[in-house]
Formats: sequence, C-alpha cells, structure tokens
Amino acid sequence: MSTTSISVNGKAPDAARGIETQMLPPPSWVDDKPSLRDITDDIARPLEARPGKGWWICFGIAFAALLNLGGMVTYLFAKGIGIWGLNNSVGWAFDITNFVFWVGIGHAGTLISAILLLFRQQWRTSINRSAEAMTIFAVMCAGMFPAIHMGRPWDAFFIFPYFPNQRGPLWVNFRSPLVWDVFAISTYLTISLVFWYLGMIPDLATLRDRATGKIKKFAFRLLSLGWNGSHRTWSRYEIVSLVLAGLATPLVLSVHSIVSMDFATSLLPGWHTTIFPPYFVAGAIYSGFGMVLTLLIITRSTMNLQRYITLRHLDKMAKVTMLTGMIVSYAYLTEFFSAWYGGNLYERYHFINRATGPYAWCFYLMVLCNVVTPQLLWSRKARTSVRFLFIVSIMVNIGMWFERFVIIVVSLHRAFLPSGWGMFYPTIFDIGILVGSFGLFFTCFLLFIRLLPMIAMWEIKGVVGHGAHKMALSSDEDQEEVAVNA
Amino acid sequence: MSDLGKGDQSRGCKSAKDQLVQINGAAAPSYWKSPEELHNGARRTAEFPGGLPSSPTGEETTRRDFLAAMGFTVAAAGLAGCRAPVQNAIPLLVGSDEIIPGVANWYATTCRGCASSCSLLVKQRDGRPIKIEGNAESALFGGGTCATGQATVLSLYDDARLRAPLWQGQPTTWQEIDKRVLASLREAQETKSEIVLLSGSVVSPSVQSIIAEWRNSHPHFRHVEYDPVSFTALRAANELSFGRPVVPHYAFDKARVIVGLEADFLGTWLSPVEFARQYAANRNPEKAPALHIQFESGMSVTGSNADLRVAVPPSQLGLVAVALLRRIAHKAGIAPVAGTQDPLDARKLDAVADELWKYRGESLVVSGVNDRSIQVVLNALNAALGNFGKTIDINKPSLQRSGNDNAMAELVAKMQRGDVHTLLMHGVNPAYDYSEPDKFLDGLGKTALAVSFSDRRDETSSRAHAICPDHHFLEAWGDAEPVDSHFSLLQPLIAPLFETRAMQESLLRWIGHPEADYYKYLREFWRTNIFQRQKEIHDFETFWERSLQSGVVTVPPPAAASIPKFQGDWKAAVDRIQKEAGETRADADKSFELHCYETVPMRDGRHANNPWLQELPDPITKVTWSNYASIAPQTAKKLGVNQGDVIRLTAGTRKLELPAFIQPGQESHTISVALGYGRQQVGRAGNNVGWNAYAFTSMEQGDRRYFTKNIVIEKTGRTEKLGSTQTHFSMEGRPIVLETSMAELRRNAEPGNEPATQPSLWAERLHGEHAWGMAIDMNACTGCSACVVACQAENNVPVVGKDQIERIRIMHWIRIDRYYSGEEEDPVSVHQPMMCQHCQNAPCETVCPVLATTTSSEGLNQQVYNRCIGTRYCANNCPYKVRRFNWYNYTENPKFDFNMESPLGRMVLNPDVAVRSRGVMEKCSLCVQRVQLAKNVALQGKRELADGDIQTACQQACPSQAIVFGDLKDPNSRVSKMQHNQRRYQVLDELGTRPNISYLKKVRNPMETA
Repeated sequence: MSTTSISVNGKAPDAARGIETQMLPPPSWVDDKPSLRDITDDIARPLEARPGKGWWICFGIAFAALLNLGGMVTYLFAKGIGIWGLNNSVGWAFDITNFVFWVGIGHAGTLISAILLLFRQQWRTSINRSAEAMTIFAVMCAGMFPAIHMGRPWDAFFIFPYFPNQRGPLWVNFRSPLVWDVFAISTYLTISLVFWYLGMIPDLATLRDRATGKIKKFAFRLLSLGWNGSHRTWSRYEIVSLVLAGLATPLVLSVHSIVSMDFATSLLPGWHTTIFPPYFVAGAIYSGFGMVLTLLIITRSTMNLQRYITLRHLDKMAKVTMLTGMIVSYAYLTEFFSAWYGGNLYERYHFINRATGPYAWCFYLMVLCNVVTPQLLWSRKARTSVRFLFIVSIMVNIGMWFERFVIIVVSLHRAFLPSGWGMFYPTIFDIGILVGSFGLFFTCFLLFIRLLPMIAMWEIKGVVGHGAHKMALSSDEDQEEVAVNA
Repeated sequence: MSDLGKGDQSRGCKSAKDQLVQINGAAAPSYWKSPEELHNGARRTAEFPGGLPSSPTGEETTRRDFLAAMGFTVAAAGLAGCRAPVQNAIPLLVGSDEIIPGVANWYATTCRGCASSCSLLVKQRDGRPIKIEGNAESALFGGGTCATGQATVLSLYDDARLRAPLWQGQPTTWQEIDKRVLASLREAQETKSEIVLLSGSVVSPSVQSIIAEWRNSHPHFRHVEYDPVSFTALRAANELSFGRPVVPHYAFDKARVIVGLEADFLGTWLSPVEFARQYAANRNPEKAPALHIQFESGMSVTGSNADLRVAVPPSQLGLVAVALLRRIAHKAGIAPVAGTQDPLDARKLDAVADELWKYRGESLVVSGVNDRSIQVVLNALNAALGNFGKTIDINKPSLQRSGNDNAMAELVAKMQRGDVHTLLMHGVNPAYDYSEPDKFLDGLGKTALAVSFSDRRDETSSRAHAICPDHHFLEAWGDAEPVDSHFSLLQPLIAPLFETRAMQESLLRWIGHPEADYYKYLREFWRTNIFQRQKEIHDFETFWERSLQSGVVTVPPPAAASIPKFQGDWKAAVDRIQKEAGETRADADKSFELHCYETVPMRDGRHANNPWLQELPDPITKVTWSNYASIAPQTAKKLGVNQGDVIRLTAGTRKLELPAFIQPGQESHTISVALGYGRQQVGRAGNNVGWNAYAFTSMEQGDRRYFTKNIVIEKTGRTEKLGSTQTHFSMEGRPIVLETSMAELRRNAEPGNEPATQPSLWAERLHGEHAWGMAIDMNACTGCSACVVACQAENNVPVVGKDQIERIRIMHWIRIDRYYSGEEEDPVSVHQPMMCQHCQNAPCETVCPVLATTTSSEGLNQQVYNRCIGTRYCANNCPYKVRRFNWYNYTENPKFDFNMESPLGRMVLNPDVAVRSRGVMEKCSLCVQRVQLAKNVALQGKRELADGDIQTACQQACPSQAIVFGDLKDPNSRVSKMQHNQRRYQVLDELGTRPNISYLKKVRNPMETA
C-alpha cells in the first residue's frame, strides 16, 4: 500500500525509485491553494472570532433539545420507564433503536480516521477530525440509552464486572451480549477519545502559540502536553498514531458486530440470524457516512470551509455511502431469501409480517431510504450536488433509524405465541428523548466546532499542494522522499 | 378473632404447627399425605441429603475448620448483641398458642361470594386471612374454587366498606339503630302493616330458622328472596312437573351425553365449581369421555368446551327444546309433539337426539333459560330419557338458588302502593339490578323504614334510611346447606375490622331474642337439627369441633323418596313456545335480540369493586374492566361495525350505548351484553366501569327474562378502547395447542408411544434432589380462570388498571390463552394456561447481563428481584412471553389506586412473597414459597417430601384439576406419570428450551352430524 499513491491529477504515479520527487504532482485536496498561514487562520477563525448568527440559532435549538432531554430523563428516572410506550410484547423499542442508531453513526468516524489512515487515503484529512468528534458524541448518545432504558438505572453499575464488591460472589453474566456491549462500547469510547485527542495535540500546540488570552493560553498549554514540534516528537507521534489506528481498525468491525449479537444470539425470528454482524457493520458505516455528510454539508457552509471540504470530498463520501448502502440492500434481500428458503414457520411469518403487517410502512420507508436512495448516487452530478447530497444524507439517517426500529419492534411485536402479540405506540417521552439525544449530539458538536479545531490543520497542510505536504503523515511522498534521500 | 366462642375456635383450627407435632413419632399420623405414610409411617431422611458442603465428614477438625467455626461463633455472638429497632408494635402480653409468627393457620369456612356456597379452607397468617382455597374434604366441591371465590378475600379489605352503621347517611351507633328499628317494627305491629325481609337466596338453614322466628313473632312479616340472575322458572317448572318447587341437583359426572341450552354451567350457572369438577372427570379421554352439545347465543365458557356448539338466538332456544322433545317422544313412543319446524339444521338435531336416546338414563339436558315453558319441556325430555334419579336428583335438590321473580314483582308493586311499612334488605341491590329500578326506588321511598345490611353505600343502601353493615363472611359465623343434607359451616378468621354486626345478630336482636348472640344460636341450631340427623358422633361438642375443623358435614338424607313422576302439561308449554317463537321469527331479519349474560369475572355485579375481578380477563373475550356488545363477525361486517365502535342498542325507550366486540361464534342476530357492569355506587375501583344492562331484562309470564327482542342497532361514531389482554386469536397454524382425536389416542394407547424429546447440543442439566415440573391437561382445562386470581392472591400480583392493560402491561403471572380455529361463524376454541415454562435451557437466562435469572438445582427458573436491573432482554427472548415487567411502582402509588395503594388493601398481601418494586422483571415462580415451606415441614417432620405435599396456587384452585405439580425425579409422582402420557407435548419444543412444564394434548371428539 505504501508505495501506491493516489492519482489526483490524472497522472499515473511512478513508483520507481530514484525519480525526482518534484516530478510527482503534489496532492491537493484543498481548493485555491491557500498558504499555510491562511489555513491556520481559516481553521482557527471559528475559535477566535465571535460565533455567527447561524451558529447561535443552531446552538439554541440543540441546547433546547438537550434541556428537554434532561427534563425527560429526570422524569423518566422519577416515574419509571412506563412513561414510554413499551409493553410486555415489545420490551425494547425507541431506547435500543436509538442505541444501535447512535453506535452505528459513530462508525464512520472510526472508519475515516483509522482505516482510511492505514489505507493512506488523503481525502480523509479534511474530515477526519470532525468525523472523530462525531464518533465520540454519537457513542455518548448511544451509551446513554442502555443506561436510561433500565428499569432501575440506579443499579446500572451491576452490569460492570467489578471486584471486590459487597454483594457476595456476584459476577456479571459473560454469556450475555449486553455484557459484551458494555465492553465493546467502553473500549470504543476510550480508543476513539484517545485517538481524537492525540490527533489534536499538534493543533492544540498551534492554538497555544496563537492564543492571546491568559486562560486560553493556559488551557491549550495544558492540553497540548508540551508539544514542541521537534523531529523526535513528530516521529514518535506518527508511530503512536499508527499503533492507535491499528487498534481502532478492528473496532470498526467488532463494535457493531457485537451490538448485532444482542439480536443474533437471541431466538426471536427476525433477530436470530447469522448475517447480522456484517450486515450491521455495513449499515453502521452507511449511516455514519450519512451523518458525516449531513454534518459537513452544514458546517462547510456555515463556517465557510468550502475550500477545505470540497465537492471532491463529498463525492468520495457519497461513493462510500452508495457502496455500503448496496451491501445493506443485499443483506435485506438475503434475509428474505433465507426466511423463504429456510422454511421456518416463525421466520417466514416474521418476514411476511414485516412487509405486510401493521408496521409495513416503516419497512417501506426503510427500503426507500436504504435501497432506493443509494442508487441515485450512481450519477456524478448527484454526488456533487450539495443540496441533493444533503437530502440523501437525511434520508440515510431516517432510513437507518427505521431499519433498527423494524428489526427491533417488528420482530418483538409478533413473536412465537400469537396470544402475546401486541403493538407498540411511542409516547411523547419516546419521541422527546430521541429528539433530546439529537440535542445532546448537536450541542456537543456545535461546542466542538467553536472550541477546538474542526479540521486537522497539521494534516491538511500536507495535502494542499505545498512542499509542506512532506510533513503530512498520510502522504506517500514522505516515504518516497526518504527513498530518494537514501 | 371474634369474641364469640373463642375457645371453640382453637379446636376448629388446622394449623401447620399441628402437622409438625403430629408427624413426629412412629405412630401413624392423624394427618397423612399418602396411603404409604398412613400405613408405614413417615419416611425419614437426613437434614441435608448429601451432607453440608462445609461440614467435616468424619475426619478430625482441621485448623481451618476450627478457625472458621470460631470466626462464625464470634460473629454470631456479636450479631446477637444487635437489636432491630423497636417500632410501634404492641406485643402480646400472653402469647397465643395458635399464632406463631410466620406460621399459617388454616380454617375451614364457606364461601359467600355467591349463593353456591362452596366449602373453603382459608389461610390465615399472623391473624389475617390472606388466601382462599377450596376445601378438599367437601364431597360436592372438592378442592377447587372459582375466580370469584378466590377474590372474595380481597373484598374483606375493601376501602369502600362501611366503618359503622349509618342512619340517614350519617354514622351512628348500633344502639341508636336498634332503637329506631324496634320503634318502627312496633309501629308496624300496631298498625298491622307489612314487614318485609328482602334477601338473596338464603342458603343458611340457621338463617331460615331465624326467619321462621320472625314469621312467628310478626304476623305481617314476609320474606322475599330475589336473585338478580334468577332460577325462578326452573323451580316453577319443577313445581309444575313434579309438584316440587326446587332446583334439582345435577350430576354431570354421571352423564354420557350432556346437552346445555344457554346454561353456562362451567362458568357461572348455579354451581360452576362443582360442575366443572364433575365435567372434567367425566371428559377424561383415557376413559370414555362424555359428549357435550351446547346450544347458545353468545359464546360462553361452557360453549367453548363443547364438542358441538350450535349458535341459536335466545328466542329460538325453546324451539330447540321442542325439537329435541319431538324426536325423543317419537323414539319413546309417547304422544306426538305438535309442529314440525326446526330452528336449525335438522340433521344436527337428529344427531343430538340419537345420542341422547342412545344414552338414555345416562344423559342430561340442562337449560339456564329463565322460562318455565322451556324448563317444563326439558323436564318432559329428561323424564322421557329417564334421567331423573340418575343424572338429575330432585329428591336431594340443590338449595343454592331460591329467588322468586314473581314475589319480587309483587313486592315492588306493594311498595309502590305504600303497603310496606318496614323493609329489611340483605344481599340485594335492586336499585342496580332490578329490571325497573325506578319503580323499586319509588316504592322504597314510600316505606316507613328501609334498612339495608349492605356493607357499603351502594345504589340501594344509599337510598335506605339505615345501613346496618353486615360482616364480611371471613369475619362471620354461619352455616350453609348448598345441597340437601350437605352442610357447611362458616367461622370467622379475623375479628371484625370495623364496627359491623352480623345480619343474623341484628335480626335476632330485633325480634327480642333473649341473647341475640348468633354464635350461640347457631350452635343451638346445629345441636337440635344437624347433630340429630347424624348417628356417628354422640357427643355434640365433639361433633361441633369436628364439623368446624373439617368445615363440611354430610348427614344421611331423609328417607329416600321415590322418583317423582312427570305430570306437567308439556303440550301447553310446547304450544306457548311455538307461538312465541313464530312471532319472533317473522321479523327476525330486521331486528336483533339482546342477550344478557353473566361473565366469569363479574357475575351479577356484586363484586364490582374487587379490582382482581375487574382485571381478570373474561375467559372468552379476554377483555378486562368493561363490558361490551358482542356481535357476530358477519353481522359486524354487514353493519360496518368495527371492534371498539360504540353502538347504540335501542328497544323502545330503553337505550344502551357501549362498544362493540366482534365475537366469533356469536349468533348472528344476537347481541350479547354482560350483566354486572355499570355500577354507580360500589367503590373507587368499580364505579362507572362498563354499562348496566339490567334494564334489558323484563318480566314475562312470571319469570324474569334475560333477553329482549326487536333491538335496533345504530352506530354512534364514537369509539371506545377495550382493555383486552389478548388481541390475536388465531394460532396462525403454529403448533402451540396440539390436538389429537379419540381414534388416534386409542391407536397409540400402548406404552412406548410417548413422544421423544428432541436432541440437544447442550449438556443435560444436573438436578439436585428434586426436579420440579408441571403438567397441564389441556383436555381438562375449561378456561374458568380461577387459577389466574389464585395466583394473583398468592403471589402479590399487582392490579394495573384499564389504561395499563390497553398498553399490554397486565401483570398476571398465569394467563389463559384462548385460540380459535375453523370458521369464524362457528369456531372451535381452546384454552391454554400459560405461565413461565421453567425451561432447562432457558433463553432468558443466557441473555441477562447480571445473572438475575437462573435455574435452581431443583429445576426452577428463578427471578432474583434484588439483582434485576430491568433490561427486559429476558422478556424479549422469552418465546412464551410470560415475563412481566414492573413499568411503574404499582404499590403505594396514587396513580394505581387499587388494593395495593391503600393500607387496608395491602393487608391481603402474602408475607411469604416479596412485593416487587418498579423496574424489575417478575414471572411465575412455580410458587417457590410453597415448595420451600413443604420442604421445611417435611424436614422438621424428619420425613421425605411426598407427592402432593406441594400444590401450587393455580393447581390448588383448579376445579377441574387440570394442573399437576410435582417432582419429575420421582418416577411415581403424578406429574411424572403425566409426562409419560402419550398426549404429552411441550410448547415450542423445537426451540430446544426444554421446559419443565408439559401439556397434554386436547382430545377432539367431534360429533358426526351429517
């Protein structure tokens, strides 16, 4: 991989050693070739200037939703989860749907920052920071749901294996996928947080150097951990980044695989299926890219970052969305096929019910968003139309939320014994807490773009086409240059 | 305990302590659990079979053991110094021998939930009655009960009960009441005005004796018996046919062919506990099961069990009786019956008549229609079949219903004329359940004094001058004679909670009885009457103690009389039936008939404030907390009525608006509406629940008629939600309730045909000393739902209310699933009790993240409430959907204003079972507290647990004995034997859950009618 460079300007890269470096076209993922100073200025501007009206409106809405979440969760803790629409037939609905949805969202961030780093995809440099931030906020939202969905959230710590405890030799049930979830999600959050923070250190140092206020300077000094930009620091930094990327990469596959086992290891028709792990991972990346698209399309225009998040970036993301969307569609087909081919009475009924039962509209909405919509991205025109992509990304978000809803609720509401069949109808609290989780997410995200550099300054400097690209960790030219020098 | 006869009660007590004492020693115990125990003495085992895990086995004490023992001793000594904080409890100065904290006492008494008067054994813990069970010593009722009987214990702790007597609505003293009543009685005496006691059926011989005393002391005294659901016609018909105005005693166990005409004898009719027991015993497929044919308009519990069920509108039921009589008369060569018309497919009637004739003398035709013509025709039919003296006993009649509609109508007329001076009312509520309550209330206003013995302000008592609240039957002495020569005693289990007074005491006091002490009166009455009629015991004290202890006494009947000869004028009856049915049929297509019936949960409405009963799903419709208009699917389609649409039923000036319920099997021209709902004044739980349909009853030829013709149906455009616990009634072709046929059963009768268990990849679970299991005979289960209430009472299952039930959040640990198959117009129904299946490879266990649900070494799937964090993953993964989640705090929560909200209502809670907090999962535990108790009792008695020592609450309550619990490790236990029955199967066996609960297939024995 390391010797294959990505052709940006249409010229085939020449991998032969000994050829002059200046013959290689400098990678350029930023329009207008801004100077390095411009880049720093552009990216640091939102942090240093007063926020605009657009930011305040967005923040106002998001914060109101967050307050609503706080209020509703308080009420939930006070009264019990009976305020939701759950019942004896449908024991999970919005709560776990939201959980899976948000975990899935997070996956795009990890994919972008870890896998694309390992694959040396330079276009990631503009988006990786915000995508990683998105991951963290999404995992926070996701982690909230298993905690608040419990009947007795004050005993939530029972789910962690802890020792010594005063409850005798009580241990968690290692056979339960919910316990696996605990490990998966906490590992995921930890790695993502560390990775995100580590990636920010050089930028934090830049901000430290630019900071004027005393408090600001102190904070950034603290956060940048004494970064001095020496060669030794950079060299160690890059090794750590690679190691962390290596650690994070399996998580992209494992976290959602484990989440899918919540369902796959059960015996419920519609849940009990071996296709779930890859299907869920594809879905997670699909939904994650949908959310990255939504976020970046908003941010690039409100923060005037069109120069850094170009149409080419959007095009790349649209392609990933299309690919994963098609994997998801294939999984849907496979599910129906195995239901028919497997000949299991309950399984077959479940899929007939999925397509014709009382929740059929959810199913068709899901098909519209996840099967039909990605097909529209075959056209390059569609992939480079910001407006169109924004609509598509919203559709992807809706579709993936409904996919989880269909899997969870439609499976539960008509299981084995028809006497236990029943419908789930959401209450105001179900919807309010879902909206509230978006409030939490966007509040965090909006604060992030105000307080921290939302594009990796040091990385993007490597892909603007200046000589400075040689600093960039992800540029292949680094190694070639080393080779030349050698 | 009541002050009355305290000394005697102690002897009437069956305490667990007694059992402990008696099972010691080698002598044969006076209480024994099995014949083996009786003859061989109790078996003994070590306290811990297999030894204690930590105890040194025969070796020297090691240093570790010494340190462990020493550590324990020091810690224990330290703990002994700790004292629980003293709360405001008042200790007994002198301890009672009877009351041992934590040990239950059992007393025999008699149910007064309805007039059937089943014998009961009531569990009393720390001075409070908390659980009702059937008295297995009763020859009539066995150990079973009905749902109402199970729930009556909660009525004891009803907040709506009056705390003291009321005069003109104001609390007063008994002295004051007595003064005023005596003054009124004197005035009536002086003015020679009428004094009337209006009561429900009086089943108590001692009360009848008191009433006789009233008759003697007041020449103008009259006693009127009034039942809201009347048996007047049956009594009248027997008077017309045999000269005896009685309700006969039926023997459903002796009949090979049972034909029911609108008689819900398994659910509500006359004595359902007794009949269900007889019926189930008689339908055992391993023997020769009786054939059951039911003609009815709405789907009843009984109809849902029939081999052949024919939907007939109420107005045409008489014609069915005539058509059967015509065929039987023809076969018997009696005078021909006029007419040729058949109300339905003649082939069906032919087939039924053939069966009846084939088993003449071993058949039984019963009808619950309160129409004397129909009853006379049926008497003629049964007489022609020779059933009297065989399946119908008229010499030893049932005394469970003795109301007289005519007498009631006359009384109301007399009251309206102002001819009744003093009216005493006991156990009646005509302002609610009389067909013309306005007339009754008008008459009530014209009495000089109206006294009600009601325990609450209800529709009637709130209009009376005085309310003299009677005890709840669990606080009272009394007796009953449900069937001639079968006596049963009532004894108090608790001192009266409030300033109430026994109705009998009031009655005695008001005729100036010297002592006015009903307990003494009762004893005296038994000494002079019942004691004299038996020969076994010569000493009355012994007899009394024995009777109290066992609760039931059967004395030899008076000299056996010959079977009376039928002498009724059946021809006149046939003419009348045909005339009336002919009129109806002419305009049958235009209008509908409204059929009023009793449901299992609500019966006639007297228990409307009992939240357990309100929340009990109707065995057929599975609807709770409401009644509704049952309408046939094809009719609903024709009228464009959907489930829950409020429809207006109009008959002349009478109107009723209530939601429609689409009922498969409903007769297409009949709308069925349950009685017992729509109470206005009964208490918080029962007020305004449902709609009162009593107005649609009327008087026809001296009998109260429970259907109305020429009903017009209109849609109102409104909808009303029905709190149904099961909304899907088809099995969707899934193997859930398995059925077999008699032919197949006989073909596979040889042993070795038991179904094989499926192979499993999982290791066989090792069991400890026991492996508890259960077998449920689907052929015996009638769906009566007594088990549901029994479980609720035993396991402190909360009531959640209609709103939560609409949200599918009922908490019942056991439910009865009811499925239909076949045509929508003529469905076949099955009832399947469903509770935790206690799987050996339990899907719930593997998914719980915190190990809150585990399998015990004895095969019980346990729920550990303290460990549960409420992820509900277990419930999602339970294929049987039997797990119940506490969505809210259902205890001490004003939002759930039922029994667990009030301190009084909480007195019914079983101290052996934890009350669950919100946020935890719960489910059937197979009454683990009972298992534990029985093990402890056996342990202390140094014997081994015998089969049958443990009965789960559902099993105990089941009148048809469909549920058997026991040790699967013991090859001789009943449950093991049932598990090897060729009918045995397990629900969803193919999932590999390996349930410890097995079902026995339902055997279909359909009648050939073509």
